[in-house]
Amino acid sequence: MTRAVLRAGRARRWVGLSVLALSSLRFSARHPVQLGLSVVGIALGVAVVIAIDISSESARRAFDLSTEAVLGRTTHQVVGGSSGVDETLYPRLRRALEGVPVAPIVEGPIAVASQPGRTLNMLGIDPFSDAPFRPHLTAERVSGGASLARLVTLPGAALLASQTARELEVSPGDVLAVRVGGRPAELEVVGVMSSADTLSGNALADLVVVDIATAQEVLGQYARISRLDLIVPEGEKEAETVRRVESMLPPAVRLVTARARTAAASEMTRAFRLNLVMLSLLALVVGTFLIYNTMTFSVIQRRALIGNLRALGVTRSQVFELILSEAVLLGLIGGLLGLGLGVGLSSELVKLVSRTINDLYFTLNVRDVAVPGWVITKGLLLGVGAAAIAAAVPALEATRVAPRVASTRSMIESRMLELAPRAALAGAALIAIAVAGLAVPSRALWIGFAALFGIVLGFSLCVPWATVTLVRGVRPIAAALGGSLGPLSVQGLSASLSRTAVAIAALTVALAATVGVGLMVDSFRRSVADWLTVTLQADIYISAPSSAGRRLDPSLVAGIEAVPGIAALSMGRTDTVESPDGPVEVVSIRMAPQSYRGFRVLQGDPVTAWPAFDDEDAVLVTEPFSFRYSTRPGDRVRLYTDRGAVDFTVAGVVRDYGSEQGSVIISRDTFERFWDDRGHSTLGVYLEPDADAPTMLTALRGVAGGIQDVFIRSNTAIREASLEVFDRTFTITLVLRMLATGVAFVGVLSALMALALERARELAVLRALGLTQAQVWAVVSTQTGLMGLIAGVLSIPLGLAMALVLIVVINRRSFGWSIDVHFDPAIAGTALLLALGASMLAGLYPTLKMTRTAPALALREE
Amino acid sequence: MSEVVDSTSVAIRVTHLAKAYREGEQRRVVFDDLSAEFYRSQTTAVVGRSGTGKSTLLNLMSGIDLPDRGEVEIDDVSLTRLSEKERTLFRRRAIGFVFQFFNLIPTLTVAENLRLPLELLGVGAIEIASRVDRLLRQVGLTARAESFPDRLAGGEQQRVAVARALIHEPVVVLADEPTGNLDAETGREVLELLIEMTRRSRASLVVVTHSEEVLRYADRVLALNEGRLVVRPE
Repeated sequence: MTRAVLRAGRARRWVGLSVLALSSLRFSARHPVQLGLSVVGIALGVAVVIAIDISSESARRAFDLSTEAVLGRTTHQVVGGSSGVDETLYPRLRRALEGVPVAPIVEGPIAVASQPGRTLNMLGIDPFSDAPFRPHLTAERVSGGASLARLVTLPGAALLASQTARELEVSPGDVLAVRVGGRPAELEVVGVMSSADTLSGNALADLVVVDIATAQEVLGQYARISRLDLIVPEGEKEAETVRRVESMLPPAVRLVTARARTAAASEMTRAFRLNLVMLSLLALVVGTFLIYNTMTFSVIQRRALIGNLRALGVTRSQVFELILSEAVLLGLIGGLLGLGLGVGLSSELVKLVSRTINDLYFTLNVRDVAVPGWVITKGLLLGVGAAAIAAAVPALEATRVAPRVASTRSMIESRMLELAPRAALAGAALIAIAVAGLAVPSRALWIGFAALFGIVLGFSLCVPWATVTLVRGVRPIAAALGGSLGPLSVQGLSASLSRTAVAIAALTVALAATVGVGLMVDSFRRSVADWLTVTLQADIYISAPSSAGRRLDPSLVAGIEAVPGIAALSMGRTDTVESPDGPVEVVSIRMAPQSYRGFRVLQGDPVTAWPAFDDEDAVLVTEPFSFRYSTRPGDRVRLYTDRGAVDFTVAGVVRDYGSEQGSVIISRDTFERFWDDRGHSTLGVYLEPDADAPTMLTALRGVAGGIQDVFIRSNTAIREASLEVFDRTFTITLVLRMLATGVAFVGVLSALMALALERARELAVLRALGLTQAQVWAVVSTQTGLMGLIAGVLSIPLGLAMALVLIVVINRRSFGWSIDVHFDPAIAGTALLLALGASMLAGLYPTLKMTRTAPALALREE
Repeated sequence: MSEVVDSTSVAIRVTHLAKAYREGEQRRVVFDDLSAEFYRSQTTAVVGRSGTGKSTLLNLMSGIDLPDRGEVEIDDVSLTRLSEKERTLFRRRAIGFVFQFFNLIPTLTVAENLRLPLELLGVGAIEIASRVDRLLRQVGLTARAESFPDRLAGGEQQRVAVARALIHEPVVVLADEPTGNLDAETGREVLELLIEMTRRSRASLVVVTHSEEVLRYADRVLALNEGRLVVRPE
């Protein structure tokens, strides 16, 4: 009998679930606002992640395409830093390497004169040796009656991709005016290259193909080539070929694999991309809290109902499945909406991402928004996964609901009050573990993020206890201000702790995320601004456009030196130099006496560092360089100079926000001892005390006019321009922060509205007892306002902690920069205002609903 | 139930039940050694003052709570020896509930509320439709089949609850103050309906109540006092 009854009871549980599912769906349908806000929350979270993915993927794809266009089938490259390789190496290598294809390349960016800001990549090739490398260039159908041979025979002849030609409104026979390093040049378009498919069309975009001699002339690389491309056959001969090539190379020239070169460029943006992903995940975490909040409320609201179902024979696993299925459905709907929203958002974000990459890393034109299948899958999985994870705890909680009819609410609340201090202790322990994790000497970014999330979770566990404590503190004030209604409103928060604590915790996390990111960006900006003030010691700066490799005309330098009113000049140049770790940026400076004040030595003794720098061939390295290559004062940095590999002693580490990759700073005398190039790319002009800056600016511009287009700017103008670039690069961070704030705002509304609606019966009782609508509004607003206030107050320490982790750990491990922490009260104030505003708004809807509903009906509905 | 049962056979047997609750620092003993039997096709009323443990007894008899000691047997199945899941499946099959506050599922219509226990048991769709129709007719609510519970009057809601308690033909129907939330006239109607339908299904009906009206309908009245159940003379 027993077995038979159990078997019968077990039968067709899935069919049984269909009515359960119906009941669950109707419950959600009866709370459309709550449901809608949750869907919006998850949709926004997914949208941000998807949009970032699509933008990064589009940028990566554009990078791959442009790399593919210029690399082709190249396996190895002979490179020689920013000054390139002597062109005589090409015929020597070609003769020595019989059967190994070798092709010279002269490459560089050129600006379109008619479209300021538009940059093209000039690729100078030898059409006769290039075919094995870039068949897509040489075999393209070229219209306009041109053949590749015309590139050789006609000086200044150029080929453009048909799409680029259309955009620039040029046809075969037209002249394309360009500017290189501030100097004008002209190219004759002899044909346009059309490609068979979109992919190779995109690869050709923004490429100007010219003969190598034309490229040398236009780019000013006389007798030099950017690099030599090789196709070294794989197998036994590879090692031998590599050895032979290496034996023939002059000191500053190296043979590298093409893959390593591409990977190095891609690696440059890794931390940037990772940070974008993490910031986007922050929005999703906030969205997940939102779902957690919604599902917890939904379980709490249905405690009696679940108890009822359990009494009727619904098993624990059925209850768990029911709640989880709801969440998954919610996640799926939110995920789908988020996908649509994310694709839309990405078309804007991709512009910001590519602009940042252009500002910080390398020239990149992202033409198409690529939406790969994995991004769609990831979006849906994130939506559903986040919803399922968020709902797991409430679903488990639901299974613990005893199949009792008279659900003892007071027992739940008293248990919650008992648990609050223990949860706080557990939270404190979690925070301690997270902080200990941060102290582990490691560069792993994931530890930083894990600790960050540990702190957030630990803090959330402290929220119930903090709420009870704060309410206890506020109660006497409420009694003094609001009579008997005051304590009624205030006490409601701790009396319904099982509901209020979840809402306050969700709100706190959402607000803290905005405070944390806000403080981080603000601190970073202030540090950069301070650094610029210290660094820009000269009154006026003169620089050649596109500083790397671009040089000031020697006659211009001579002209400037002769201008009266100048007390001193500092001279600098920036080169890319090969090192065992790949290309590194080397900044060489002839210091003016005042220049030394512009450096803040972070490691090393300034008293000994400067004499070593000036007289002993020692170098300074910037903070990101020191971080990236673990270089400290006393260590040695190996650079491949024109005299061969040289180990330079590091005299000190200086602060620098100019390059994320870091750079080696070397005195001009040392540079001239090891390199042959004598040009300058920047001049710092220190004026006589009585010289008038605007007058001097005019005088200097007068000297430059007719010689070379150069930037002549006051230090204030440079500072402003630099901060403009900073703001531009952080636009994407701010956009993400705004989106996270949007999710937070939706979370606030959702949580508080659910709570207020849940108390409809209590409000109806108050109305029945004779409270006016205004008094009911006051009660609701006090409760929701107080919740907002508590969340706002709690979000400040958590936000500060998040900012500290972001600044001291995440940023440092990503970029190597140290940032001075600055606490801007305005950011915390904004969070408080946001919390209060949202909570007051949230209280408005239930109050309006109550005023439109007769108290009797509300009582009956319950 | 297709098998023929003896109208005086034992449906529920509770033996040496002990149950205590912790109330803050104190431990409140509800009963220490309670034994009783409840028979098929009989209506047993359990009376007692508030706080004597009537609802606790119902919870233990239905398996939604466990005794600290002792045994509950329904139809020779010892609930105390079953796992939580087995107790749930047993309850699904063998027990029907009628509560003071109706406890219908507010998001399901009247007909769906009746379908739920049958669907949980895996009864076929045609059989479900037929039983729901029959029970709705018996409780006189065919016209309200598609209404949601909150649109029904209290008496109507309790009639739905009665139909739901009996639709899966349980061995035992447990009713906790079934008329406690109804006016006298409606309460009497609901009670008559509950007793008649339970008898027809040959289930054992145990009613916990304060109502003297209910006692008049009961075959047997047990008084719960100081942890003991004693038969109250008629």
